[in-house]
Amino acid sequence: MILHTLNASPASSAFFDCTRVVDAGDAVILMGDGVYAALQGTRACAELQATGVELYVLFPDAQVAGVNHPSAGIISIDMVGFVALTERFPRQQAWY
Amino acid sequence: MAQAGKKTVLIVLRHSPYGSSLAKASLDVALATAAFEQSVDLLFLGDGVLQLLPEQDSHSLGIKNFGRQLASLPLYDINCAYVDAEAAARYNLDLTKAPVETRVLDPKKMHQLMVGYDHLLGF
Amino acid sequence: MIYSLLVLSSPISGQCSRSAADFAQCAIARGHSIHRVFFLDAGTMASSVNGVFPQDESDPVRPWVRLAEQHGVDLVICISSALKHGMLDQVEANRHERPGPTINSIFTISGLGQLVDACAHSDRLITFGG
Repeated sequence: MILHTLNASPASSAFFDCTRVVDAGDAVILMGDGVYAALQGTRACAELQATGVELYVLFPDAQVAGVNHPSAGIISIDMVGFVALTERFPRQQAWY
Repeated sequence: MAQAGKKTVLIVLRHSPYGSSLAKASLDVALATAAFEQSVDLLFLGDGVLQLLPEQDSHSLGIKNFGRQLASLPLYDINCAYVDAEAAARYNLDLTKAPVETRVLDPKKMHQLMVGYDHLLGF
Repeated sequence: MIYSLLVLSSPISGQCSRSAADFAQCAIARGHSIHRVFFLDAGTMASSVNGVFPQDESDPVRPWVRLAEQHGVDLVICISSALKHGMLDQVEANRHERPGPTINSIFTISGLGQLVDACAHSDRLITFGG
């Protein structure tokens, strides 16, 4: 079980690499420019959802970016939620 | 350093050697971890595989040759290095000429590798 | 649980450094302890006293200083990265014949052994980069 933090836009190699490596039982938190992958109706969002892993978007970063309506299936979390996820997942991989 | 429970560390290298300072930073971390006799392995993933190109020559930049530094890793007891198979193929790398010996992994195997460590340091 | 943070992000590029400080505050509020925050590469610039920010912008160094002042969190900047980025305490400024220190004294300059120690002592090692 790995908690992935994705801090790069959907056009980045970080997005490409992260979505290749994630596997069942993992979770991904979109933060920084990663929040754009939560935009509804985008290919990036569909690719993320196709991985089948738990998906989260960091609310403060999404709000800054204007990503106010993340796609269904991507849960908006605050920093407390981020900490809570790190309690559940023993290891974190930062993608940027 | 106080004796604590030993934790295993996998350093995940995702950036090319000279385009940013991240590769150098990650190598320094690997060497320090080994110097303090903590377990550390390396995974070259995505553009990180470019660190394995054999004919690097950084002389004109006035910085250390990254490939040569990688070649010295076994001297520090860092012996387990893994490579992203897809990225290596994408860049048409001849891994037999790489500065370190590596084991090639597909994405599923990379994931299996990663879950075996206490800490993942992403560079 | 015992947490340590590895911060690679520059404090003035993107939100990540700020998020790391917020993460640390939230972790403490949830009852966890922060063994160390280790700053590496561009992350070492979080220690700078010389940044000048417009009145209508927040100082990205303040959240880290607040974290150390309020909770005694150990903030360590990697010496080799720090020197390259011009982040010097008085000792290093003297040693390298520079005009004066450039870091907030609440930060400590040290070697990568402190990161290795953090890994060995922590249940969670959270990396903030990009």
